[in-house]
Amino acid sequence: MNNFLLTLTISILFGIGTFLILRRDMIKVIIGLSVLSHAVNLLIVSAGVFENGKVPIITGSGHGGEITGTIYNDNLAEGIFAPLVSAGSHVEFVDPLVQALVLTAIVISLATTAFILILAYRIYEEYGTTDIRELRRLWG
Amino acid sequence: MNISMTHLPILLVAVPILMSALMIFLRSNANVQKWLNVSVSFAMMLISIILLLQVWNGGIQVYEVGEWGKYGIVLVADLLSSGMVVLSSLVSFLALLYSLDYIEGKSLNSTYHSLFNLLVAGLNGTFLTGDIFNMFVFFEILLLSSCGLVIANEKGGVTKSSDKMEATFKYLILNMIGSIVMLIAVASLYATVGTLNMADLSVKISAMTAAGTLPWHTYAIALLFIVVFGNKAAIFPMHYWLPDVHPTAPSPISAMLSGVMIKVGAYGILRVFFLIFRDALFLLQPTIILLALVTIIIGAVSAVGQNDVKRLLAYSSVSQIGYIFLGIGIGSVYALTAALVYLVNHAIAKSMLFLTSGGIIHHAGTRDMRQMGGMNKTTPIMSVAFLIGAMSIAGLPPMGGFIAKFILFDAGLRAEYYIPVAIALFFAVFTLFYMFRAWLLMFWGETRDVEEYGEYSSHKPSLMIALPIVSLAALAFIFGVYAEPLIALAQAIAEQLIDPQPYIDAVMTRVVR
Repeated sequence: MNNFLLTLTISILFGIGTFLILRRDMIKVIIGLSVLSHAVNLLIVSAGVFENGKVPIITGSGHGGEITGTIYNDNLAEGIFAPLVSAGSHVEFVDPLVQALVLTAIVISLATTAFILILAYRIYEEYGTTDIRELRRLWG
Repeated sequence: MNISMTHLPILLVAVPILMSALMIFLRSNANVQKWLNVSVSFAMMLISIILLLQVWNGGIQVYEVGEWGKYGIVLVADLLSSGMVVLSSLVSFLALLYSLDYIEGKSLNSTYHSLFNLLVAGLNGTFLTGDIFNMFVFFEILLLSSCGLVIANEKGGVTKSSDKMEATFKYLILNMIGSIVMLIAVASLYATVGTLNMADLSVKISAMTAAGTLPWHTYAIALLFIVVFGNKAAIFPMHYWLPDVHPTAPSPISAMLSGVMIKVGAYGILRVFFLIFRDALFLLQPTIILLALVTIIIGAVSAVGQNDVKRLLAYSSVSQIGYIFLGIGIGSVYALTAALVYLVNHAIAKSMLFLTSGGIIHHAGTRDMRQMGGMNKTTPIMSVAFLIGAMSIAGLPPMGGFIAKFILFDAGLRAEYYIPVAIALFFAVFTLFYMFRAWLLMFWGETRDVEEYGEYSSHKPSLMIALPIVSLAALAFIFGVYAEPLIALAQAIAEQLIDPQPYIDAVMTRVVR
């Protein structure tokens, strides 16, 4: 059920993003790219959620080690407060690698969006419009 | 000494990043900035050559960043990546030397050096990394720094800055979509296979194919990678940004973009498809051949009608990258050798032509070839350089382009791809036509109407502008008359590509400490 909602959210975000980058207004195109990149970020995070598989966390020597297959949560009744875990208790994780990836992707899309917004502002100053169809001096 | 020798791959990435930060702090002192950057760039070129020699003599080098083995980021220097690094370091050193006199002082001083170093770091990182997500990160470094460089102003200001911004906007939007597609592909690959290390991916996908459990959407991911790398290399459906961006960029940056940046796409195809998606090649190769042929045709036909010298060269780049992809698509050892030889020769000849076109534009004060003519008398050095470049691109002996085209067609015929080779050969005649049309228009005939367009600039090209052009022209000639070392290197690379087991072994024997 959870996964269905996640999938639906991602696909709707992809739809909105695609719709927006086909608009004529430059700012809408840029917002569309932002929405698309967030849809991709959600997609990456969703790649780290496992229903019943084992999660690749390296412990100990790194050769196999103990791997767990469940989701990391507080459990007040048993006295487990994340991330403090008493010895011997069985804790559950999601894949941490995808979260590192998504952090990188967010930072990159921030930088690119900042650059392209400045660029759009300068184009507005030069051309006096944000209509993307007016940007055709090079095709002449 | 021994310790520093094993750290060469990380030096090639880290030093340019460090330099780009340093250059911002040095902007009050223009001379120090210039000469420090040039000397470091020269040192990088030497380091890359040493790395190539090390790999040639001692086998594939793997450098772990952070000692995490295959779970962390590894830099892998095999023959392909170290060869590409040598190419990019060479072109970037010469382009940097050229830009010292070509780029306007203020622009050069404040941002140009810094961004140029980031561009070099992005290129070296893309070539050396062994991790597919890391490759995405370096692609973004490449993209953003090259956007900043396209906007840089050259002396004389032939190109309006509004044109530059329009071109950059197109470039950035298309490449952002490209990087979004790449993220989708990488995320789906990770969700399918559970690793991001390219050697590990290769092992696991081979194992899944052998067990018959490879999900069908792996093929879809492979096709997504064609979109990604095709967008970088500007092959057919994604080529529309190139003829706008490359002409509006300042000439040394055009040389970098056309010489090395579009080769990043070819490198990505070679690396990712021949390492990871070996089992999907039966599907990918016909697709690549088809796209390559359409790219050759569209580039050649569009180049014929151009009057702007840099736009002509840009369309010629589109056409020539098609030949490289044709070689990749045919995919035998000999064809890959041909594609790599073609890649090197095109990189040298095209970056030389773009640098020459910068000199021509500076001399004539315009980019329109119809407003030039008879420049053979006023600037003979540019005339000779453009002729050598034109001969190399068109594939006339004794230049390097002839060897490249000859073995490419030979490889195509031996692999019995008669119709693609016939099409490619027919449009190679177009190449001959448009390159020599440009040369004749600019350098032969009557001197232009002085009353209408004004005198040519009497300013002679300075040493900084002439030296890169002459050295690249010499290389284009040397690779034509003495091509054996290049062909031997390309053949060794092609054999490594077809049989990636040494690469996989070099990466996978690492242990996590």
